[in-house]
Amino acid sequence: MKKEIMGILACPVCKGELSLDVVDEDDQEIVTGSLYCAKCSQDYPIRDTIPNLLPPDMRN
Amino acid sequence: MNDQDIRNAVRESYGKVATQQGGSCCGPESLQASPCCGGPTPDTASKAIGYTDEQLASLPDGADLGLGCGNPTAMASLKEGEVVLDLGSGAGIDCFLAAAAVGKTGRVIGVDMTPAMLERARENASKGGYDNVEFRMGEIEHLPVADNTVDAIISNCVINLSPDKRQVFSEAYRVLRPGGRVMLSDIVLLKELPEGIKGSVEAYVGCVAGAETKEDYLANLTSAGFTDVKIVSEVSAAGIYDNATEQIVADLGITAEQVREVSSSIISIKVQAIKSK
Repeated sequence: MKKEIMGILACPVCKGELSLDVVDEDDQEIVTGSLYCAKCSQDYPIRDTIPNLLPPDMRN
Repeated sequence: MNDQDIRNAVRESYGKVATQQGGSCCGPESLQASPCCGGPTPDTASKAIGYTDEQLASLPDGADLGLGCGNPTAMASLKEGEVVLDLGSGAGIDCFLAAAAVGKTGRVIGVDMTPAMLERARENASKGGYDNVEFRMGEIEHLPVADNTVDAIISNCVINLSPDKRQVFSEAYRVLRPGGRVMLSDIVLLKELPEGIKGSVEAYVGCVAGAETKEDYLANLTSAGFTDVKIVSEVSAAGIYDNATEQIVADLGITAEQVREVSSSIISIKVQAIKSK
């Protein structure tokens, strides 16, 4: 994902803001990392550039 | 089937399609003739639903799995610089067509809950060199998108698969900017299906059993807050569905007459609605 998309993203559960933690990025986008919702105390992983923003109970 | 069973069946079925090379179709083989599953090849199926040769030629190989009901009208309405959200983006066909319409200053976000589809979409985006398209794994009933941020929502033969369509429309309304619009292509029914078909997983993932009546579909849009709800086009899916329904109902012990009745009540519609300013 690209950083400039952060303004459009929201937590799928509370719709609040997410904070970004980058582990690995290339010249275009974030490859690995996570998005954190402070209100829900929930981490949403970013793998292979795609954030997994499924509600936590839907991940399995 | 409860909601979770339905979601799992849909994810599993469409995950399989995503991993088929060339992906001729969705769901079980019995459904391969349905509108959601195109026809003999994805290309033929997509032309039949209204995409032009030029549009199809502009796509990266493998972006079109032939799974949609088609939404060329939605593409025509998109303007330079708009933010577009595709509900159930699959391998990315509509996202890539939308990306060309909104240009460099626009942005397209595809949401899908099937990991294998997202993987395919990501490969296609990179093959096609699209830098204004992004994909994320998410559920259309719980959009990971902030309020009032999207100009146009498109969705192509997907909402019928949701076990909670009211919630999908209410989420769509929330994320749209005032003045924003939904442009949906979907399968609806002219009358309720027989109970045996309603309970069939195969019929569900083939976009039949999950479909609502046209009346309920439009009423759900209105109750979510949308105005100017209108059907842009409506095509009977009878004929296209005959083979599929025949095979589904063969296992359910329904008469040939009932099969015809079922397939004649399935229609593909294109609907537009506005979030008032």
